[in-house]
Amino acid sequence: MATAIEINGIAPDKTLETCARQIIVAYFREMMSHKAGAIDGTDIKFVHDMRVASRRLRAAMDNFAACFQKEPFKQHYKQIRTITRTMGAVRDLDVLIARFQRELQTLSGAGQGDIQGLIEHLQQERAEARKPMLNLFSELDESDFKTQFLTFFETEA
Amino acid sequence: MAKPQKIIGLNPKQSFRENVRTILPQKVEEVYSWEQFIQDPEKREELHNLRISIKRLRYTMEFFAVNYDKHFMEFIETIIDLQEILGDIHDNDVVLEVLTNYKENRQSTELPGVDTLITRTIKSRNADYQAFLERWEQLSAVDFKQKLLAMIAS
Repeated sequence: MATAIEINGIAPDKTLETCARQIIVAYFREMMSHKAGAIDGTDIKFVHDMRVASRRLRAAMDNFAACFQKEPFKQHYKQIRTITRTMGAVRDLDVLIARFQRELQTLSGAGQGDIQGLIEHLQQERAEARKPMLNLFSELDESDFKTQFLTFFETEA
Repeated sequence: MAKPQKIIGLNPKQSFRENVRTILPQKVEEVYSWEQFIQDPEKREELHNLRISIKRLRYTMEFFAVNYDKHFMEFIETIIDLQEILGDIHDNDVVLEVLTNYKENRQSTELPGVDTLITRTIKSRNADYQAFLERWEQLSAVDFKQKLLAMIAS
């Protein structure tokens, strides 16, 4: 499982708001760093790592919501939630396919046939689940979501 | 999935250290709000929600680790351990659902591999659930919750 990242600029004596901004920005950058690999789709670890980072980011946003102006915060939060959910659909299928591929080796010839059929069925579902994820990434690029997110959370009131 | 409980009582202009004592006890209570369901292995949704609450607590503890000494990491390790056992239970629940649905949609076909995996997954799920209960009871026996809350307040 992906581990926590080291976050610079947080300390017990700094204000909660300052630390909250640092944590949110650090996990946002961490999440986005896996995007190219997730788009490529060859190695399933990128979708996993991006999703875990998005979950940590959401946990931070849930905890520190009181530090931010309500309406813009809500809009950014909704986008992050959409990213987590869209990636979750792909990740769940990656996990299932990997598990059934491992199980396949342990089955007799007759048993392997129907599990191979199930794997192929899940691979088709995965291809379908990747479409909304790729569309979402394109929409985020077109709307310059990254710049807007970072501008909001890096600018202290 | 249950929504996270809203954190109350934060002061953004107070120090990170002071606010940790407001946030973390609320995350601990969110975890323990699911404890009433753990004795029933059929409470899949509640066990899943417990896992999600534990994950939220873990992430929050990691954010605030800078406020504590190395001993705090041992508490995080215990939380990760619980999260992983519950993750195994959830994975088995999802696999069972997929296998069962796949079988139901192909009623006229013999599916020996699917039948084998259903039997194997039920066995594995039962073993994981027992392992979880044992771990939870071990932690209750040593007052883990109170020790964690005391650590947070220290």
